[in-house]
Amino acid sequence: MFSLKPPRPTFRSYLLPPLQTDDNINSEPKIKKLEPVLLPGEIVVNEVNFVRKCIATDTSQYDLWGKLICSNFKISFITDDPMPLQKFHYRNLLLGDHDVPLTCIEQIVTVNDHKRKQKVLGPNQKLKFNPTELIIYCKDFRIVRFRFDESGPESAKKVCLAIAHYSQPTDLQLLFAFEYIGKKYHNSANKINGIPSGDGGGGGGGGEGNGGGVDSSQKTPLFEIYSDWDREIKRTAASGWRVCSINEGYMISTCLPEYFVVPSSLADQDLKIFSHSFVGRRMPLWCWSHANGSALVRMALVKDALQQRKIDQRICNAITKSHPQRSDVYKSDLDKTLPNIQEVQAAFVKLKQLCVNEPFEETEEKWLSSLENTRWLEYVRAFLKHSAELVYMLESKHLSVVLQEEEGRDLSCLVASLVQVMLDPYFRTIVGFQSLIQKEWVMAGYQFLDRCNHLKRSEKESPLFLLFLDATWQLLEQYPAAFEFSETYLAVLYDSTRISLFGTFLFNSPHQRVKQSTEFAISKNIQLGDEKGLKFPSVWDWSLQFTAKDRTLFHNPFYIGKSTPCVQNGSMKSFKRTKQLFVVVSMKSSTGTR
Amino acid sequence: MGGATSRGENSYGLDITCKDMRNLRFALKQEGHSRRDMFEILTRYAFPLAHSLPLFAFLNEEKFNVDGWTVYNPVEEYRRQGLPNHHWRITFINKCYELCDTYPALLVVPYRATDDDLRRVATFRSRNRIPVLSWIHPENKTVIVRCSQPLVGMGGKRNKDDEKYLDVIRETNKQISKLTIYDARPSVNAVANKATGGGYESDDAYHNAELFFLDIHNIHVMRESLKKVKDIVYPNVEESHWLSSLESTHWLEHIKLVLTGAIQVADKVSSGKSSVLVHCSDGWDRTAQLTSLAMLMLDSFYRSIEGFEILVQKEWISFGHKFASRIGHGDKNHTDADRSPIFLQFIDCVWQMSKQFPTAFEFNEQFLIIILDHLYSCRFGTFLFNCESARERQKVTERTVSLWSLINSNKEKFKNPFYTKEINRVLYPVASMRHLELWVNYYIRWNPRIKQQQPNPVEQRYMELLALRDEYIKRLEELQLANSAKLSDPPTSPSSPSQMMPHVQTHF
Repeated sequence: MFSLKPPRPTFRSYLLPPLQTDDNINSEPKIKKLEPVLLPGEIVVNEVNFVRKCIATDTSQYDLWGKLICSNFKISFITDDPMPLQKFHYRNLLLGDHDVPLTCIEQIVTVNDHKRKQKVLGPNQKLKFNPTELIIYCKDFRIVRFRFDESGPESAKKVCLAIAHYSQPTDLQLLFAFEYIGKKYHNSANKINGIPSGDGGGGGGGGEGNGGGVDSSQKTPLFEIYSDWDREIKRTAASGWRVCSINEGYMISTCLPEYFVVPSSLADQDLKIFSHSFVGRRMPLWCWSHANGSALVRMALVKDALQQRKIDQRICNAITKSHPQRSDVYKSDLDKTLPNIQEVQAAFVKLKQLCVNEPFEETEEKWLSSLENTRWLEYVRAFLKHSAELVYMLESKHLSVVLQEEEGRDLSCLVASLVQVMLDPYFRTIVGFQSLIQKEWVMAGYQFLDRCNHLKRSEKESPLFLLFLDATWQLLEQYPAAFEFSETYLAVLYDSTRISLFGTFLFNSPHQRVKQSTEFAISKNIQLGDEKGLKFPSVWDWSLQFTAKDRTLFHNPFYIGKSTPCVQNGSMKSFKRTKQLFVVVSMKSSTGTR
Repeated sequence: MGGATSRGENSYGLDITCKDMRNLRFALKQEGHSRRDMFEILTRYAFPLAHSLPLFAFLNEEKFNVDGWTVYNPVEEYRRQGLPNHHWRITFINKCYELCDTYPALLVVPYRATDDDLRRVATFRSRNRIPVLSWIHPENKTVIVRCSQPLVGMGGKRNKDDEKYLDVIRETNKQISKLTIYDARPSVNAVANKATGGGYESDDAYHNAELFFLDIHNIHVMRESLKKVKDIVYPNVEESHWLSSLESTHWLEHIKLVLTGAIQVADKVSSGKSSVLVHCSDGWDRTAQLTSLAMLMLDSFYRSIEGFEILVQKEWISFGHKFASRIGHGDKNHTDADRSPIFLQFIDCVWQMSKQFPTAFEFNEQFLIIILDHLYSCRFGTFLFNCESARERQKVTERTVSLWSLINSNKEKFKNPFYTKEINRVLYPVASMRHLELWVNYYIRWNPRIKQQQPNPVEQRYMELLALRDEYIKRLEELQLANSAKLSDPPTSPSSPSQMMPHVQTHF
């Protein structure tokens, strides 16, 4: 009933129930009780008992004893021992303290210290020695170490191989989200309308009720439908712009959303013709309009050099026409002004090395200059600085701004988002920020699958989304009263990109979700009805991951609800409401949540 | 001041270098030599001591509805700590500052040490600054004791009385372990001090003590380091190599060493492993930093607004941190080698702690900044003069206003809305470069490009949160009252959380 077909027969045995190895015979009753918590569609592929999880690098005094399991979703270390040294303020409902989602794993190293051997485990490799130690390098800078001194050598080896295999799938449909959603659809086959929590906006609320009413009061617009765009045009009072439906059914481009916004003066027929000249047929997309009428627009490059001038001219004219003051257009070529995705990735790799480097004291001494040498902060600054310049064009010069980039789906996402966060207080609310990510990243075709490297083809990996969250964090640090959300929220949001259960950050484009999940549904005999592809759970449905109490930590107590102009919509949270929430946070230690 | 060499429109004017990290520049019209008068007047009033004029604090006629001079009463503070007790006594031997002219009048010393013992020990300690108690742990009775370096000298002199005295200190708590001595200096400097008659406690002479050096540099190194910080933040912030420039000032590294030292002191005492004796050379710079920071980590009382004022009064002002020399109040000799930002460095360490423990301190950042602003302002008498005896001679408490009068009459402004009282929690900040930050809101606040929005929305939000907090506490009280009324006459328990809290341990 599960679709995880390992390409090599060697691994078939993992799909069978765990073997009875001799270590199970003398296991204490205490260990036997340690059972993993599994999600729908999740199965244990292998497990090993009497594992020691290493906590500190220099001493074993904090080490924990337990069972290590590998499922098709996570590796889980199950222990009765309490978590030493570190206490977390919130708990993820999908993952235990010691769990690592498979999509969060970066590298797996097995060690045998008697034979002084070490091996990095790729997806389909053999292991010629019995490992005494397993080191897992995670994408979120974690390093997890397990010792197998007391466990059955064969079982230990099998678990290591299972982890290596399941964490490095070769096909998108092998990611756990498909298994999960398939199970959900099957379970609710008799109900109408598929699964309860698939409607995305955080409304439906799977599993954990909506107590607290924090996120559920407002839905995050996903921009999958016409009306979301229409509402956004009205919210920003963008009069010269209209929603365009020519890409319905992805007839024009497979990397654009079905609906997007274009200058009113451009007819569908013209757009269809123009689209052929753009890389990926990514014609100009409206992002946002300032109250003064200046618009922010993003587009790919014009492929055909001969056509370029003419098309550029037509587009610029149309954008000018959409401006109430007929202001000029300011073009920003992002490829020429900002670091490219490879440079960002290189900086990130250095940053990670610095952060996880041992010994601690060595990096400590030259910490600041080493940090500078990674160039990560320099890049964060470059994006913030350039965005601030564009803010000046839009706000003070009353110019419309066009972001140009080869494909228009990497740097553009980041710059378009930052500009809007800086200019529009609505995007500094939780719902607003989420809608921004939907609009400028998910729907605009940011290639989450490749950039997050969920399928481990590292050449396309680049942490632009993290860079965006970092830049937002910098703004939050500088303007603590301007953001409804907290640092915790940003951190949790980034962690969520590593949980392959949500559809939000799983695909390269909305079209890919529809295509892949339709294929999957057919192969699994799932009736889709009118739905366009499977409705994966949305990250914005935070109740799937956190209790209402924990979700209060998403709110920034410094936030002043009413703020500078720009917001004319009625959808902002009322000041009073938010205030009450802050109190819960600020008084948590003395009075609880009453 | 003055004398800009560049020509052009603004070449004639005044340059004013300030103690608080900024320079001011005024362009004046060249006609009529307007600069000369201005320069003379400014010099006279900026440096009154050089012109036989009084400091402004003595002219200030401000009135406040609370008297900050009553905040610190040493007897009360020692009583709060449970002193005197069987092992420690309060002595008035220094009532007229005869034993040690830079110490306070009231001292706490081991019960078993007689006044004569103290006099003999004084001869062996630099400037007679004998080991006296700063703080005692309420449960395990280990103590933090402060003093100056022993006068060992090149010949390696010994003093039986000093050795015995340290042993008496060790024995005040019933531990058998050795007394821990933290010498704040780098060992090289401690050795070098022998040449000028100083030194440190050798293993041979002090069998029952264990000495560690904390590697904190002297006042000159700190001064130069801060000067470098100023160079990189004013007038321009150098963006391109900001972090390596910051690293090359070593300022955060010094902060790290001071904090690390204080953590060690706090840990020794809190774990009950042993009593601790802290000294540097004279025991009024690094020693004050270490004892006060360790006390702040150990004793939550000092994390309240009044508690912190008491801490500053006690460990810094009364124990003779040379504010007049280190700051150079009203003195024109700006190159004086005695000047050093030791107190600023302490406040920076406190700020680092407040960043890492946002709910542990009753006060906010503004509180720390206003203290530093009035460290230089001479509007209040609080930071004038070098020691208590000088202050008494000048009748400072009668003739000037205390900074705490200003602060305590408007406390709300300085309160941290996230403060949650916790009595027995020891704070161990992470003294790692990964966690230490440059205090931008203080060091770079004058840079127009970094300047905060005005009015500051965060301050506004603070006020709202505090009001809300009060409202909720009131409601909680009402509920508790209603609840206790329901239960059949319970013993009258304090009804508000604020009343239940502090006043830790009175042990007799």
